[in-house]
Amino acid sequence: MINLRDRIIAGERAAIAKAITLVESSREEDINHSHELISALIKSPGHAIRVGFSGPPGVGKSTFIESFGSHIVNKNFKLGVLAIDPSSNFTGGSILGDKTRMSEISKNENTFIRSTPSRGSLGGIAVGTREAAIILDAAGYDYIFIETVGVGQSEITAANLVDIFTLIVGPGSGDELQGIKKGITEYADIFIVNKNDGDLASQASRTASDYKSALSFYNKDNNELETQVVLVSSIENKGMDEVLNSFNKIVEFNKSNNRFESRRENQLAYWLEEEVRNKILLQLSKENGIPGLIENEVQRIISGETGFYSASKTIIDTFLGKK
Amino acid sequence: MKKDKSKRLSDWEKKFSKEVKIETSKQFFHETDEGININPLYTKEDLLGYTFNDIQTLPGEWPYTRGPKASMYTNRPWTVRQYAGFSTAEESNKFYRKNLEAGQMGLSVAFDLPTHRGYDSDDELVMGDVGKAGVAIDSVEDMKILFDGIPLDKMSVSMTMNGAVLPVLAAFIVAGEEQGLDRKVLSGTIQNDILKEFMVRNTYIYPPEPSMRLVADIIEYTAKEMPKFNSISISGYHMQEAGANNVQELAFTLADGMEYVRAALSKGLAVDDFAPRLSFFFAIGTDFFMEIAKLRAARTLWAKIMQDFGATNEKSLTLRTHCQTSGVSLTEKDPYNNIVRTSYEALSAVLGGTQSLHTNSFDEAIALPTEFSSRIARNTQLILQNETGVTNTVDPLAGSYFVEKLTEDICSAAWKIIEEVEEFGGMTKAVAAGMPKLSIEESATKKQAKIDSGKQVVVGVNKYKNPKEPKIDVLVIDNEKVREDQIKKITTLKIERDSKILEGHLSRITEAAKNNSGNLLALSIEAMRARGTVGEVSKALEDAFGRHYATNVGVSGVYGKFFEKDEKFMEIQNKIDTFEKENGRRPRVLIVKMGQDGHDRGAKIVATSFADLGFDIDMGPLFQSPKDVAKDAIENDVHAIGVSTLAAGHRTLVPELMKSLNAIDKNNKIIVFVGGVVPEQDYQFLYDNNVSAIFGPGTSILVSAEEVIKLISKKH
Repeated sequence: MINLRDRIIAGERAAIAKAITLVESSREEDINHSHELISALIKSPGHAIRVGFSGPPGVGKSTFIESFGSHIVNKNFKLGVLAIDPSSNFTGGSILGDKTRMSEISKNENTFIRSTPSRGSLGGIAVGTREAAIILDAAGYDYIFIETVGVGQSEITAANLVDIFTLIVGPGSGDELQGIKKGITEYADIFIVNKNDGDLASQASRTASDYKSALSFYNKDNNELETQVVLVSSIENKGMDEVLNSFNKIVEFNKSNNRFESRRENQLAYWLEEEVRNKILLQLSKENGIPGLIENEVQRIISGETGFYSASKTIIDTFLGKK
Repeated sequence: MKKDKSKRLSDWEKKFSKEVKIETSKQFFHETDEGININPLYTKEDLLGYTFNDIQTLPGEWPYTRGPKASMYTNRPWTVRQYAGFSTAEESNKFYRKNLEAGQMGLSVAFDLPTHRGYDSDDELVMGDVGKAGVAIDSVEDMKILFDGIPLDKMSVSMTMNGAVLPVLAAFIVAGEEQGLDRKVLSGTIQNDILKEFMVRNTYIYPPEPSMRLVADIIEYTAKEMPKFNSISISGYHMQEAGANNVQELAFTLADGMEYVRAALSKGLAVDDFAPRLSFFFAIGTDFFMEIAKLRAARTLWAKIMQDFGATNEKSLTLRTHCQTSGVSLTEKDPYNNIVRTSYEALSAVLGGTQSLHTNSFDEAIALPTEFSSRIARNTQLILQNETGVTNTVDPLAGSYFVEKLTEDICSAAWKIIEEVEEFGGMTKAVAAGMPKLSIEESATKKQAKIDSGKQVVVGVNKYKNPKEPKIDVLVIDNEKVREDQIKKITTLKIERDSKILEGHLSRITEAAKNNSGNLLALSIEAMRARGTVGEVSKALEDAFGRHYATNVGVSGVYGKFFEKDEKFMEIQNKIDTFEKENGRRPRVLIVKMGQDGHDRGAKIVATSFADLGFDIDMGPLFQSPKDVAKDAIENDVHAIGVSTLAAGHRTLVPELMKSLNAIDKNNKIIVFVGGVVPEQDYQFLYDNNVSAIFGPGTSILVSAEEVIKLISKKH
């Protein structure tokens, strides 16, 4: 493990790749190794800014990352991309095609691009995404982009992974505007309105101003930066400087009033809670935990022996009692 | 005594039912790939109730179902036009001259992939592709050698060129000029059909919209300046090759045609000014009657379409077509069978009334044709013309209950798709949205599944296998030598020309492209005359338009459906599940195309069906270099890389890939396998370069998947 850690810190491509495989693995011994590795890596953090890209499927997330990513690497930054690909099919296999939209940046020496099948896991991200970001950070990448599968409420989990959370939207109808609920705006730092090109250009700029005025209804408190709205065209490379400026603005602002650090602290709390919750659930369901406990109580509720809330209490008591 | 008709029909039905042991003949039909039901019997009643096909009409009469001309082959048989290109202009020239002496009447040029994609032979990016699958043309100098001693005023020349269509056509025009010929006398055809490139063949350069402008500029220029030249050959061929069924091929091709007509109209031309110079190109596969009916249906529908565009000139209304026998129907196994397949396909094309024909050589599933195999291919047509008597009667199958009904059925099925495309807003929009591409890929995967599951028989491949496979000689190309020679020629060219003058021409091209002004073909002629290269003119356009990158990844789930409860299929799935349990993740395979070869049907089918089996599949972008592939493979920590090769690039690209993999991680355990067209002679070479497995054309997906999981499991 020490060897692998050193190789990661030295930025060795193959070592980073193997480490990500390790943190994604479902094999018992790999899980143990990965815990060891992550604990070691976390002691030598890098300086990466982590950015999440969410948005509905088909809106052009990968294409934007291709275009904006080129912009970033041309400024000599090192860029890591973790793309969570939604396309898993009924047999469990998957086709990871995001990279077909990232042909320019994937060639670049200063990038590391990894696709992961979502496997229907929670939060628009995959098992191990948080850890993969830690690995890339330790390896010295300046920016880490996390592209989520982009569906549903669960994106909030992804938002809890990053310093900047971005929503990419297309030139859209009013329906999409209704989607901006308080919940999401709390998480999104930037709205990027894509496809400001060709036939859609005028619609895109209209959409951007619609978003701006819609967002103005949600007052943020005084020490919060207002949500940014940027108009871009991935295929014509328009608006890329504005996006980068917005990123810098957000980071500077948040660092100036301690929000940057407190956000990371809150995220740590979130993940610790997640970890504990998952481990407890695992203990309840697995053979080495208390086998059949939940199933038992369900049967008892059905047969009228107990009620729903007392069943829940029994489970918790049994569990705590066992510990 | 005569029985009445319905009594006779019910008697037949009874006999039929008894013979086949099925209750009624209505339950006994064959469903084609197109979804058309073929009945065991057709009668006079099947000639009634048609919308499109008017069986009363005659050849040379609207809607030209029976042929564009009244006399057809009775006056002059179809043109034997063999498509070929051999690495260098010198060799190709020698080959053309020999063929012309041997009775060929037109010639057809195959270009190498770098030329198609607008790269000069000295570009690092195309290292493995120069001189593969066709002739390398970098400048007017190469074009002059290509046609040396061939009078371009007498010989019609067909050029398969779409991406780099401007510099190549310009070089042809200048070569004619320097033979002392006015461009007005040049005759021939340029393929110039960019829309199908976005659907299937992928030898495009620029995005769809600016690409359509190039098409329009060429139609405009040739309509005014080159009255004997066909400005476009609207091609369904590559769609069928990529797995489209006949109805899709027909519908998307005609819909493409409509889009080109609109593009030309937008240049202010009148429809009859250019429509007579539009020509078509279809594939002829092994479904004998279907192919005949397809050509009849094509003429019928095109006449209707052009009438709707307001055409009145008979030449605008008639669809004239070149045909080529199907390459994808050829097999690597028992290759002499391909001579027989090609013969039947050729007969189909002729009975359908084609204007010219290319018959494939039997070794084309493996390599470029040899002198021997191309002689047999040419003679297949000469025997049809001279020995069989098929030229004595125009449209001899007219009036056949079956063929007429099939013609009508294809017309109405194709028309439905055309209407769908129109609803999309035409083909450029449909293509940009990926609609035709996806439906073709779905057909292709179905077809592969039918063959792999034995539902469709391919003789010598999945049935009646030859226990003693014959060894055949194939042409080997020394790509390094070709590349060196081309580089020398480019270097000399660049020393001798006046770069100042050329730069002016090139910047005028970029400007005209940006401002949507001027005619880009006229400007390209200036640049090529000033000894610009194909790469330089293409770059000047790219500076304005950008390069296009394809993104689509295929349809999953289609292949798996054919194998529900199939034992072999489940066995492989189980092996993959076991692998996952033991290794903590699924076997992960990167499927790539390297170099400039854009034929991705095979790669897509393998990718989607492997995913259906349970693999995690990484799809690489098209046109990757070996170095890009190695980076991609290492970063995603794949267990294996599958290299799809169809254009002979593997000899250079695979060793290069191995080198790059080791450069990033010398301890990597990545397995490399190769699939596609690999001549037997190359097998040992690839094994020596640490390739673990090679899967030739016709390999069942199940066989390759099983081998791959076995190889991966052994190392992990």
